[in-house]
Amino acid sequence: MKVPYSWIKEFVDLDLPAEIVAEKLNISGIETAVSKFGKYTPNLTTVKVLSVEKHPEKDKLYICQVSDGINNYQVVTGADNVKTGNVVIFAKVGAKILGKEIKPIKFGSYESQGMLVSLEELEIEDKSEGIFILDHGTPIGADPNYILGLGEDILEIEITPNRGDALSVRGLAREIAAIFRLKRKDYKPNITLPTNSLDISIQTDKVYRYVGILIKNITIKDSPLDIRLKLLKSGISVINNIVDITNYIMIQEGQPLHAFDYEKIEGNLSVRYAKEGEKIVTLDGEERILSSTDIVIADSKKAVAIAGIIGGENSKIDENTKHIILESAIFDPISVRKTAKRLGILTDSSYRFERGVDIENTFNASCKAADLILNLSKESTIESYKDIYLKPYQPKTVILKSSYVEKILGEKLDNSEIKDILGRLEIDCTIENGTLNIKIPSFRSYDLERSIDLVEEVARIYGYDNFNPTYPKIDVSSFEKSKYWHFDNKVRTYFLNNGFTEVVNYTFTSEDIYSILKTSIPNTKIVNYILKSHSVMRDRLAVSLIENLKENLRFSRKDLSIFELSSAFYQNFEEIRVSGLVSGKIVDGFSYNDGKRQFNTNVDWDFLILKGVLSNLLDYLGIKNHDFTDTNLENYLHPYISANIYVKGNNVGYIGKIHPEIATKLEIPKDTFIFELKLRYVSRGLEEAEALKEGYLYTYYLEKDTPKFRELSKYPSAYRDLAFVVDKEVKAGELKDSILKSSVYIKDIKLFDVYYLNEDKKSIAFKVEFNNPEKSLSDEELNILVEDILSKLKLYYPDISLRM
Amino acid sequence: MSIKAQLLSIKEDATKELNSISDVKTLNDIKIKYLGKKGLITSVLKSLGSLSVEERKEVGQLANSVKELLEEKIKEIEENLRKKELEELLKKEKIDITLPKQWFDSSAPHPVITTLKEITEIFNWMGFSIESGPEIEFEEYNFTKLNIPENHPARDMQDTFYLNNGMLLRTHTSPVQIRTMLKRKPPIAIVAPGRVYRKDMDPTHSPMFHQIEGLMVDKDITFKDLKGILKIFLENIFGKNIPIRFRPSYFPFTEPSAEVDVGCTVCGGKGCKVCKNTGWLEILGCGMVDPNVFKEVNIDSQKYTGFAFGLGIERIAMLRYQITDIRLLFTNDLRFNLQFKGIE
Repeated sequence: MKVPYSWIKEFVDLDLPAEIVAEKLNISGIETAVSKFGKYTPNLTTVKVLSVEKHPEKDKLYICQVSDGINNYQVVTGADNVKTGNVVIFAKVGAKILGKEIKPIKFGSYESQGMLVSLEELEIEDKSEGIFILDHGTPIGADPNYILGLGEDILEIEITPNRGDALSVRGLAREIAAIFRLKRKDYKPNITLPTNSLDISIQTDKVYRYVGILIKNITIKDSPLDIRLKLLKSGISVINNIVDITNYIMIQEGQPLHAFDYEKIEGNLSVRYAKEGEKIVTLDGEERILSSTDIVIADSKKAVAIAGIIGGENSKIDENTKHIILESAIFDPISVRKTAKRLGILTDSSYRFERGVDIENTFNASCKAADLILNLSKESTIESYKDIYLKPYQPKTVILKSSYVEKILGEKLDNSEIKDILGRLEIDCTIENGTLNIKIPSFRSYDLERSIDLVEEVARIYGYDNFNPTYPKIDVSSFEKSKYWHFDNKVRTYFLNNGFTEVVNYTFTSEDIYSILKTSIPNTKIVNYILKSHSVMRDRLAVSLIENLKENLRFSRKDLSIFELSSAFYQNFEEIRVSGLVSGKIVDGFSYNDGKRQFNTNVDWDFLILKGVLSNLLDYLGIKNHDFTDTNLENYLHPYISANIYVKGNNVGYIGKIHPEIATKLEIPKDTFIFELKLRYVSRGLEEAEALKEGYLYTYYLEKDTPKFRELSKYPSAYRDLAFVVDKEVKAGELKDSILKSSVYIKDIKLFDVYYLNEDKKSIAFKVEFNNPEKSLSDEELNILVEDILSKLKLYYPDISLRM
Repeated sequence: MSIKAQLLSIKEDATKELNSISDVKTLNDIKIKYLGKKGLITSVLKSLGSLSVEERKEVGQLANSVKELLEEKIKEIEENLRKKELEELLKKEKIDITLPKQWFDSSAPHPVITTLKEITEIFNWMGFSIESGPEIEFEEYNFTKLNIPENHPARDMQDTFYLNNGMLLRTHTSPVQIRTMLKRKPPIAIVAPGRVYRKDMDPTHSPMFHQIEGLMVDKDITFKDLKGILKIFLENIFGKNIPIRFRPSYFPFTEPSAEVDVGCTVCGGKGCKVCKNTGWLEILGCGMVDPNVFKEVNIDSQKYTGFAFGLGIERIAMLRYQITDIRLLFTNDLRFNLQFKGIE
């Protein structure tokens, strides 16, 4: 909400710079900024229009003779709303309008010695229709900067949803009076009302008060300058005297008002539920289709307004309006909000009703409006009125103890201090038997209900900055170390230290990427997404990392190693995963040749290198015995250069090369590798036990055994290089495991050569370490051991032989 | 020539020859020539027999001293030559140590995660344990139990993404408060870092961003304690002398509520574009846990009090690294990401 500071000063006596008031409002809970109304502009003057003639040579231009009382000027204008006798604003030669200096300029054979200006040209409105016409009695030759208040301070207020009471000059004056210990001023409307006899019926429980005043014989015209300026300064468009006055009182009093053209009303007014599908064209020209939970104001034939939100075109005030019904009411906040939300309408009125309007000021506000209307059209009269107020406001009493204030705030305030603060906020309270009995005033009935709400009122007026910090005394005996956090960070740090750059992606993605990856689209989707490409909750991180590669290829980066540690989503649970994508070179090196030596330092990413990164991670986490298997691979992986990873028989992730066909579709390099590991299970329920499920590295990390020291062998190990000739389909890893299992004396085994001998056979060579903790092994004993191993291996590999 | 004269001439010749030596082979030749079995000095010594006892003694001494002198000299030269040869050998292996490394390039952590980690760990260091919760939440935990009823304007503060399974993407980390209090009785001191979602997308708003939630509940926790804890936190992040301001605000799940500002780190409080000329930067929201929230999680608000706070991570990261568009954080163009090497 915008409101000129000067308007507030009409209701509270203070003489401080606007900036100081804004600052104080800020630190007591109402966000306020100070801006200026338009811009102070030298070389302006008010002038009277002496004559207006059509430009004889140029269409759409007019030649005006104007006078500032001393000099006469000839001015050419394109505006068609200027009439002889108007007082308007004239920018003399030398004035700067919208950044341009005014100079004498010829339009055809007529010279313009300045410019008639609109509010747009004074940077007050975004778009003006025509020149700004001042009131008839405005002196000529006067400075418009002064008359309009150009450069005047405007308070820009942003309230929190609980402070509807501050959405008016009245409310802000109350707040400022409390802060500065001042008294708020008010005035009484000066009208006499006839009998309470206007026929209005209420057919819903969603209206708490309804005041209608029938005013006859009004004249529709421009509002006086003072009202127009206050509205302009409050950011409200100026329309005509009746509409302007309803807006004026809304800003001043916080009570939204509406005026109906009485002659367009057929029969009596009623407030009722809309009929399902009932139509109304609202003031913004839109046709609205209503539902049976909406509240409307209606006459005997039709709906004439949507209650508390917007009026209907069919009962609109226009230039021919003679009689009006002025409405001032309180509608149910939730009902207004539901209807406004559904119809997508936000008005100054609905905004206020949703946040709560003072029910005790409803009648007063409408009388103030009637007072203004009568003042402006002397011949108009109040014909009749009605104030339907079924359950008059009964202030709720809230009990507050100073000990409670201390328990919450940590500061001892005595009863009289609390009473004083509440009194400043116009909240009545009495002290009885050491407790405060507080009567909640109507204007705060929406947000003050409980003693805690009053603690906040006390605290904010006391000043948050006046509480000195203290440090909590808390029993820490039940606190536990945060294991998951350290685990996630271990994984993250591991990848960072292995040259992987960390990325953070949106967790929602597109359906398209799933189609390209030949993977079924996850079924958890955002209904009200911003972009269709951000509508699917991903069930794997790979989809995002592939997009990252594509993004970087756009900028010609082909070598990259990236990882993300984040969430994947499923129907009933979530997973924390880590995924990585590598492409191009791991070492972007150079070739070297000095005549004697020749080498190349480039290293391309490859399956086995990435496998090493993951194996080492599992070692680092203390997770032993993991297996790589090549069955049940994801569709987007190369069927022969990819693997699933298993720990204790449970799948924990995968590693592989992107399927070449899919790489082509994605327009990414063929040598792109990807992996994904399931780190943690995240339950949506509250059961803690669920967190430790099989198939997640965190589970195995927590389950790992603490290593216990084993005695070192006193005898040296013996080493043998053994090359086995096997069928070419035999897997090296399986052979290695078989060898390890074949003798208790094998300490370690390391593959060092694979050689394909012919179409059917290959040789796999291992360096095998033998050790007997009891004694040194002799050559003969070793020979026997090797024979024994070979015979055991023959059980699994009948054709196996040792290559000599 | 007398034997003595011969010896002196040998000495002179040998010294001359040795001084001009440049390789091991010549040195060996000289060694043999003078000191070998058939060498010049040996033959001189062999001829000593023809001399008188006195002469023999005198010449013998001279001969030995010449021999020792030559031996010493040869040894010295030998040593020098070996050194020279080794040096040449090593020199052949010389590499240009300014050539590039043969190792992968160092990586960069993500500035948001780094900031999230740093902030979380400050609270962890103060004794808050670290909790987490799912990102797909029940309306109940994200709103209702946090005292945000349906059809309340407070729901406008957070534009929500709804899912086809009837749940929503959590709009803040506050549901972790609810989850924690439903699982555990006070004393409670937790922080919950995590991803949150709001339907908003422009240079300062991202539909996904990160928050940290904090909650402390026990018998004697006050608003002044909240100020104390946040003061320690803000001083650890922004430095000891950072101005701090608490402003009353509104959150449905706290009462009293506050917004906390720190003096603008860009202009030092003088007013600039970043702080919109206010001299202050809004950093976090906080307050005392609302009794309605305690009621929802069955904690007796007569007995227990508590505070909660929440802050957005992106804003702090953007201030710290002077990043102007939030969307850069999630595009993962490595030209951006790699600017943040070494920030941890």
